[in-house]
Amino acid sequence: MKRLVRTPWPVVAAFILPSLLGFALFVVAPIAMAFAISLTNFSGGPRFRFVGLANYLLAFSNDKFLGALATTFIFTSWTVALQLVLGLAFALLLNDKLLGRNFFRGVIFLPNVLSSVAVSLAFMLILDPKRGPLNMVIRSLGIRAPLWLGSEKSSLATIILVTVWQSFGYYMVLFLGGLQTISRSLYEAAAIDGAGSVRRFLSITLPGLSPIMFYSITIAIIRAFQVFDQIYIMTGGQAGGGPAGSTSVLVFDIYKNGFSLFRFGYAAAESVTLLAIVLMVTLIQQRGQKKWVNYDVV
Amino acid sequence: MTSSRNGANSAFRAARAVLLVLTAFVIIMPLMVMASTAFKVDGEIYDFPMSVIPKVPTLENFSKLLDRFPLYFWNSLKLTTIIVIVQLLTATTGAYAFSKLKWRGRDLVFMLYVVSIMIPIQAIIIPQFIIVRNLGLYDTHRALILTGAFTAFGTFLIKQFFMTIPDSYVEAAHIDGAGEFSIFFRLMLPLAKPVIATQIIFSFRFFWNDFFAPLIYITNQGLKTLPLGMADFATETYTYVGPQMAASFISIIPVMVIFLSAQKYFVEGVAASGVKG
Repeated sequence: MKRLVRTPWPVVAAFILPSLLGFALFVVAPIAMAFAISLTNFSGGPRFRFVGLANYLLAFSNDKFLGALATTFIFTSWTVALQLVLGLAFALLLNDKLLGRNFFRGVIFLPNVLSSVAVSLAFMLILDPKRGPLNMVIRSLGIRAPLWLGSEKSSLATIILVTVWQSFGYYMVLFLGGLQTISRSLYEAAAIDGAGSVRRFLSITLPGLSPIMFYSITIAIIRAFQVFDQIYIMTGGQAGGGPAGSTSVLVFDIYKNGFSLFRFGYAAAESVTLLAIVLMVTLIQQRGQKKWVNYDVV
Repeated sequence: MTSSRNGANSAFRAARAVLLVLTAFVIIMPLMVMASTAFKVDGEIYDFPMSVIPKVPTLENFSKLLDRFPLYFWNSLKLTTIIVIVQLLTATTGAYAFSKLKWRGRDLVFMLYVVSIMIPIQAIIIPQFIIVRNLGLYDTHRALILTGAFTAFGTFLIKQFFMTIPDSYVEAAHIDGAGEFSIFFRLMLPLAKPVIATQIIFSFRFFWNDFFAPLIYITNQGLKTLPLGMADFATETYTYVGPQMAASFISIIPVMVIFLSAQKYFVEGVAASGVKG
């Protein structure tokens, strides 16, 4: 029997207000304010005025902003692709019963739980172009060692590698969970019908994983937009963004304009752009899920 | 045919074993470098080939941290503990309101919570900073506690669990004369122990490692957290590699210990986040 009576409002308030207050004050209000501030030349002081779309026009004709968008796009494409491919590959390898399975799963997931500041500092030592252990090994093999973080050609690639190192295990765990939902009997039936392992992978495993695949792609994209710690720590701190701005992604540009240059209005316009991109990705996920995801297999 | 199949199989197994061992090496090596450098004297850090076990082990790097890092460590521990507790309170009460109470607008508010999971903090940090500053909380620990108090993901996670507890339990308790508060504390919370453990671990890991919010809200040396203190190393002109690795090593130990002793909750939390996909 369903309880049709509404709960008295003081009781509802007592339960919902602790979280709703935080949500309203520190999430909803800032979203609304971001739009408002982006239409002003606010810089933190008491004197500011309405400037219309000037901040947006300025941003979209500014090489730094457009460059940051491009860098974000490159960073996102590579990290999403590498994390999903590696995550899926290791989920498949570690789904079978084999010696040390739990050890390998644990090790691969481990970097996820660690401080990205600590991880970044360790990689700065390892990747030191002159004296770092990795380049020492590379040089001892007679190969010309890359400058890693020290060159505008390789700095972004280096950040991508460190980020993938730290988080592909997360996607492995997601995919391992997805593999559990695929019924064993499907594989047995396919084996009886004479389907080879490639065929089984393409016709059973991949469609069976499509819901989790779609979720993983969305999460990976959203997380890629947020990369900040590695860039701040490894490529020059507050004034940084890498050699020749090569690692200045959108969120870093927002931080720099907002908190080093105090161009709040301009940074808010960049924030609204970021919000719009995130909203678009989420909408595509919602729509696409119905179209491409296969729920029949599982 | 069977013999060639067996041959291919054992070749695959061997290749798989090599690949897994190599991957484990690539993941463990940077952490080994961090740990061993923490105990090395300056002159040994860049030795080639690099020694895994320091030839002259020293605690000098740790003693160089003594002036500031005990305070950073304490700040991190204090803040993380408070935020974890506050988050648990807001997430469980919110989850109860969304799963077991009937009120107008409930599903709409819940949908807004879920959508907000996707919003990157950097997209709202400028106005959030202005709000915090106008509340007079800039450069205080309260700024971090209040902005960290709400968790859309935690509320979602616990709500999903509460939904699996049959309404008939709650109704039976109502008939016995129990109020919502005693149902929440005596019935729901004890049943939700596993998901509460997952939530605590996830939020501990997040706030222990969090760098962005402290970077925005804290400037006072005495209020800095561990990640913020470590970041100072990266921006100083001279690089103190030894102390830097010692601080990094200290900062990853608590999370490592929790991970090794409660791995299953981490995995469950990740898997639970995927279920909704």
